Amino acid sequence: MSPIPISTQRWVLAGLLGAVVLNLHHTAVWCLPVALGGGAWRLWAAQHGSRLMGRIARLVVVVILTLAVLLSFRTLNGVDAGASLLVAMAALKLMETQQLRDWLIVLGASLFLLLAACLDAQTLWRMPLYAAEVWLLCTALYALGAGARPPAAATLLRSSGRNLLLALPFALLLFLCFPRLSGSLWSVPKEDEAVTGLGQEMSPGSISQLSESDEPALRVRFEGELPPQAERYWRGPVLHRFDGVTWRRVLGEPGPPPKLEFAGRSYRYEVTLEPNTHGALIALELPRGIPAQPSVYATFDYQIMSSKPLSDVRSYQLESFPEHHTEQSLDPIVRQLDLTLPRSRNPRSLALAHSLRDSASDERAFVKAVLGYLQHGGFEYTLTPPRLGTNSVDDLLFDTHEGFCGHYASAFATLMRAGGVPARVVTGYLGGEWNRFGGYLLIRQSNAHAWTEVWLDGMGWVRIDPTAVVAPDRLHRDLDDSLAGMGASDGRVRTVSWLADTLQLWQAANAWWRDEFIDFNMSQQMHLLAALGLKDRDLESLVAVMAAGATLWLSLLAWRGRQRSAALPRDVLSRSWRALERALTRAATPRAPHEGPIAYSERVAGERPELAATLRPLARHYAHLRYGSGSSAVQLQRFRRAVRFFTARLRR
Amino acid sequence: MTLHSRRIYILPTRTGLVAAALLFVMLIASLNYDNNLALLLSFLLCGVALVSMYECHRTLSGLQISSAQVESAFAHNQGELLLAFQNTSDTARRSLRLRVSAVPPKWFELAPHSASVVRARYQALARGRQRIDRLQLSSNAPLGLFRAWTWLHLPLQALIYPAPVRVRALPPPLGLPRRSERERRLSGDEEWASLRTFRDSDPLRRVAWKAYARGAPLMVAHYDAPAGARRVLSLTSLHDLPLESALSQLADWVLECERRGESYALELPGQTVPAGHGLAQRRHCLEALALYEAA
Repeated sequence: MSPIPISTQRWVLAGLLGAVVLNLHHTAVWCLPVALGGGAWRLWAAQHGSRLMGRIARLVVVVILTLAVLLSFRTLNGVDAGASLLVAMAALKLMETQQLRDWLIVLGASLFLLLAACLDAQTLWRMPLYAAEVWLLCTALYALGAGARPPAAATLLRSSGRNLLLALPFALLLFLCFPRLSGSLWSVPKEDEAVTGLGQEMSPGSISQLSESDEPALRVRFEGELPPQAERYWRGPVLHRFDGVTWRRVLGEPGPPPKLEFAGRSYRYEVTLEPNTHGALIALELPRGIPAQPSVYATFDYQIMSSKPLSDVRSYQLESFPEHHTEQSLDPIVRQLDLTLPRSRNPRSLALAHSLRDSASDERAFVKAVLGYLQHGGFEYTLTPPRLGTNSVDDLLFDTHEGFCGHYASAFATLMRAGGVPARVVTGYLGGEWNRFGGYLLIRQSNAHAWTEVWLDGMGWVRIDPTAVVAPDRLHRDLDDSLAGMGASDGRVRTVSWLADTLQLWQAANAWWRDEFIDFNMSQQMHLLAALGLKDRDLESLVAVMAAGATLWLSLLAWRGRQRSAALPRDVLSRSWRALERALTRAATPRAPHEGPIAYSERVAGERPELAATLRPLARHYAHLRYGSGSSAVQLQRFRRAVRFFTARLRR
Repeated sequence: MTLHSRRIYILPTRTGLVAAALLFVMLIASLNYDNNLALLLSFLLCGVALVSMYECHRTLSGLQISSAQVESAFAHNQGELLLAFQNTSDTARRSLRLRVSAVPPKWFELAPHSASVVRARYQALARGRQRIDRLQLSSNAPLGLFRAWTWLHLPLQALIYPAPVRVRALPPPLGLPRRSERERRLSGDEEWASLRTFRDSDPLRRVAWKAYARGAPLMVAHYDAPAGARRVLSLTSLHDLPLESALSQLADWVLECERRGESYALELPGQTVPAGHGLAQRRHCLEALALYEAA
């Protein structure tokens, strides 16, 4: 076995390093240093002929690195720990790589690392990196396959690139047609990291972190017009229980939901919801009906809940009516729930509520009075409010006067309840940014909002957004974008700079990537079959399409090979020699079948002595090229040119 | 002769089988995690392997062999085989391997649009004619996942000379009285031809000392075929040896005479190679020995 050339070793090491870098975000911190160290050591050892790590040293390092993985992840299972372990083992394998087999193992580990990266992160911007890494690893494979004298880097890159391009149609075909069976073969440890967004509960302060997150929360495509900005309240978890600091949800069904009567215009839309932990399917206020999906149900407070965790992207269609009311009266248990306040908390607020209620003629006047108090009480909207104590509402209303939507919703609901009006806090999102390239409304985590709903007899639950009173600007933040999206040519429409355009285009591309690629599933496969004009849209036809396509691809590959080899026999040398023979046949005499090139040239030289001086060396040259120990492309070209020159002279 | 697709066989190598297992594991993992990107990666790698299969096949397909030649060898030694390959395609053909029966294979590669003569070794068996078949041309290019091979059925026949074995000393030159070198030279039996420069192996007796004494460089008198000084190598003189040993002894003598630059004749029952020396003489004699069959 010949040793693996250094250039080949470099290719494999580069491939391994690339795979490690692509896994940086989810593997242990020591992975990159370990891989770099292993690679550097290997190269150094190869160049200086020094020894690699001994067996016992390797064993010690294995134990240390395995322990390191265990320490970092508390398990060896799962993608993150597995990838870290793989990095460690590949780096260690470098310490004993001598033979082709060892290098192939390192390459295999790199491929698995790339797979781990793909499993973990699928955002669009990584795709070029993944593609480059695949190319790099393929090139390394080509270098390993080339043996002791690998061709130049450019040739290797070209070979592997051509192979990848040829393989791509096959990969896409299988991707489109391979049956996606739902359900895992073995249980996959789901990541239990907190997904930022709305939570199960709200204590003022919990949303301030969210507002900094630009992560998308949901995307909405509308059939027809978009709702005006003021109607874009996206309802999420509804909070009822308040302990003075934290608002919480109610699990269970205290009573049936009051029957709604819808009026006005409606909006039909499709929501693509990012994973969340609260389990609510976000909907525009207020949806009629629920999506026809399993394990989805409506609650008494008009939430749409999923009984399964929303750990994957979810799509559903809904129709919502911003205008709604109910004639029914509130269920006593729910009324009790939404009037309860923590005992002996926020005494000053309660006193304020009582005094306002006493001076108001009815509930509506009371609501107005409280809103007026918030509007004119010198309150400010801020994302960095001071911390509040156990009497959080008192602190806000009488001391700090600063807060964001959660603070004001909490305070308003408390005042309402104190004044005998059932009230609840609704969390969700407000607004959204229109993406004109993708044709959807993007709602980010930074759009998270909290508002209240109060029960007014004869009207039902009425949305009151106290933040709108305190900070009207908050509601108009996204207005410009949305106006631009609706095509309104308002003077306030900001001139969209190319940067904003690019950003939107990028977001749209990301959304497309998500919808069409990452979330490609069985139903899209069936759409595909329909587009192909197939009547039977089932698994069998999918497999049939796949088999037919694969056969076509294979035969195209074979045909390509045949084309190449069919064009072969008439090579440059034979062609030139035949041209010479033809010219000599015309000018002198044909070659006898038994004559070799030199004998023939001698005979012709005898007949036509004036040709001898050129013909003899030409024939010898041909014999040398044809039967000698080798010929190069340059020599062939030279011979061809000489023959051309000679035949041209013969003709004259 | 051009290699055609139909005669080319292809199978995965052991590396290829391991790679297949690896791809399968990747596929299962992607399916299990329900991950489209990983699935695409697995499919892409499957595609790469399949494309490499075609490329492997193409390494042999369309390759031309413009001439084939076997050089004779002594029995039980290794002989050489010359195959002139021609690659008329635009791509290089790499990792080609030519294997002739039990001899370690010969690796070579062909640049695009190139011709090259490949020397491979073969194992010579017994004296006589030997068919050289079981010529296997294979390649595991480009990735080593597949190995394509074909059997070259070329009309190749090697002439195997008897292995030279020395049992007895060279017979004395026939028909000439034993005289000293000096006497022979004086008598003019040998045809003095020319002087040439001294080489280490030259006998000192032949040095032209007189010329050297006159200040010329060290020269040696060079004689053309020593007239009459020929040895007759005859099989009958070795009648007490078994036939094959006798033939081996004769082959050894032929080589010995060639080494000495002496003229020799070969006499076999029913066949005589007249006296002479040089490569042609050597070949004639050895061929006669190779093909000799006792009546």
